[in-house]
Amino acid sequence: MGFGVPTLLDIQTAMRRGLLDDGHARVAAILDDALAPADRLSIYRNTSRTALINALRLNFPAVQRLVGEDFFAAAADTFITREPPQTAWLDLYGESFPDFLQSFEPAAALIYLPDVARLERAVCRALHAVDAEPLDYSQILEIESSAQQRVRFTPHPSVSLVFSLYPVDAIWRAVLARDDAALAAIDLSAGAVGLLVERRAGEIEVTRIDQRQWIFAEALFSGRSLSAALAVADDPDAAAWLAAHLAAGHLSNFALSNSESLVVAEHTQ
Amino acid sequence: MFRATDRCSRPIPANAGIGLRFQHHQAVLDTRPDVAWMEVHTENYMGGGSPIRCLETIRRDIPISLHGVGLSLGSAEGLDQAHLDRIWQVAERIEPDLMSEHIAWSVSGGTYLADLLPLPMTEEALAVVCRHVDQVQNTLGRRILVENPSTYTLFRHSTIPEWEFMAAVAAGTGCGILCDVNNIYVSAKNHGWDPSAYLAALPSDAIGEIHLAGHSVRQFADGGTLRIDDHSSRVIGEVWSLYEEALRRFGPVPTLIEWDQNVPPLDVLVEEAHHADALIDVASDGVRRADAA
Repeated sequence: MGFGVPTLLDIQTAMRRGLLDDGHARVAAILDDALAPADRLSIYRNTSRTALINALRLNFPAVQRLVGEDFFAAAADTFITREPPQTAWLDLYGESFPDFLQSFEPAAALIYLPDVARLERAVCRALHAVDAEPLDYSQILEIESSAQQRVRFTPHPSVSLVFSLYPVDAIWRAVLARDDAALAAIDLSAGAVGLLVERRAGEIEVTRIDQRQWIFAEALFSGRSLSAALAVADDPDAAAWLAAHLAAGHLSNFALSNSESLVVAEHTQ
Repeated sequence: MFRATDRCSRPIPANAGIGLRFQHHQAVLDTRPDVAWMEVHTENYMGGGSPIRCLETIRRDIPISLHGVGLSLGSAEGLDQAHLDRIWQVAERIEPDLMSEHIAWSVSGGTYLADLLPLPMTEEALAVVCRHVDQVQNTLGRRILVENPSTYTLFRHSTIPEWEFMAAVAAGTGCGILCDVNNIYVSAKNHGWDPSAYLAALPSDAIGEIHLAGHSVRQFADGGTLRIDDHSSRVIGEVWSLYEEALRRFGPVPTLIEWDQNVPPLDVLVEEAHHADALIDVASDGVRRADAA
């Protein structure tokens, strides 16, 4: 900030830094001085932090119950300073919170915590995804059979997949139901789980699918061509799985990939 | 200046409404409380799924106002077009009877700061806000109302009194004013202004809605105090008195009871709304007597 009258951009940049980094020296110069500038800025900072921590609490309720309110607030506070939201649609804030938890040393003892957060992230996306009609079957049947292998599907906006080495679905359910007995009975070494998360008739459903199906679904939902997804699956049941996804409304659209280069480009994602 | 056909064609009735929060969705669907209209925060109904479907259902019986809290009309770096598009999508589905936003900013350097931050009252800020209100009204095809802020700090280099800033935005863009009476009271106490003079300086014909809410008082170590607009309690007596003054000046205006923190049972909100309705009735009688004379 130079001499003279600060511009609106100067002010907003200084206040943003003051709110995120808890510094107030730059802001003090532009505020009137009836009350200490730090006190005035602290009111805005408190409101801002409280709103953002609450947004994360709403988006990660099971994580909060697993670590406790105070621990969660401290972790959220650190995360907010590092990665504040980029839009005012806070329902989706915290995209990278699971990765943050993965590297958050004080939470390292809870080895399954980042994956519980990943599941909650998928639930959050499912809750707030835009509404979309499921794909009309008959449109696929109208495609020439020779072209059907080039179909690339778009999953329904509410559908996503989660994979974990721990039974995070069982942990998530027990924690949200406050079922301590169920939580105590969970065997962390029971093996990996593949989960499909979706919104059906307004309700969230988290379903376990076996690993072969999960690998096929992952290829299908990530926009690979049908032939590529079938090749990845390499399983005689894959066609039946596709039919089941279509019947369940997990796919909302499709396009035809026109060239080999497009297919190659997909593989580099 | 906004001249397109205003798509908010059925005006909200000049009675009291309440803020609708998620925890009251079911109670509202089950009991259809006796209030004239309801207001929601637009940001809570973005995307799809249950919330917006529930609001669509409620909206069949009750006029709805969409009150935005995140558009950041005062951002020096322009509006977030994606956010404006999401607001448009909510408006397309809900067909609100009224839409509003704030004279404030919340976005800087691509970061959303999750608070309604104060603007310096300068010609530069006025031009920025007017440009953005034009952009919003043209995108939505609707006239919007802009709300006067509650503030805890002023800027040394401000040159325009806040009430003149509000009037200038309305005059420059054709938008209306959402007169938050509690905010006027809070800011007046915090900055030593005369709340009655503030009200008297606002253009009557631009007032499209009034907000009422509770606030708290915070004491600081150096002995100073600030009133904090936290929407977490009943409207205080002094604010009710200022509201009566506003009704005498503006006539009956749709009036909202805002209560966003420590949200009470629906009955308490309805009770506050009925108190506002009683005061609107008194003001209406006054208008009728004046017309008859």
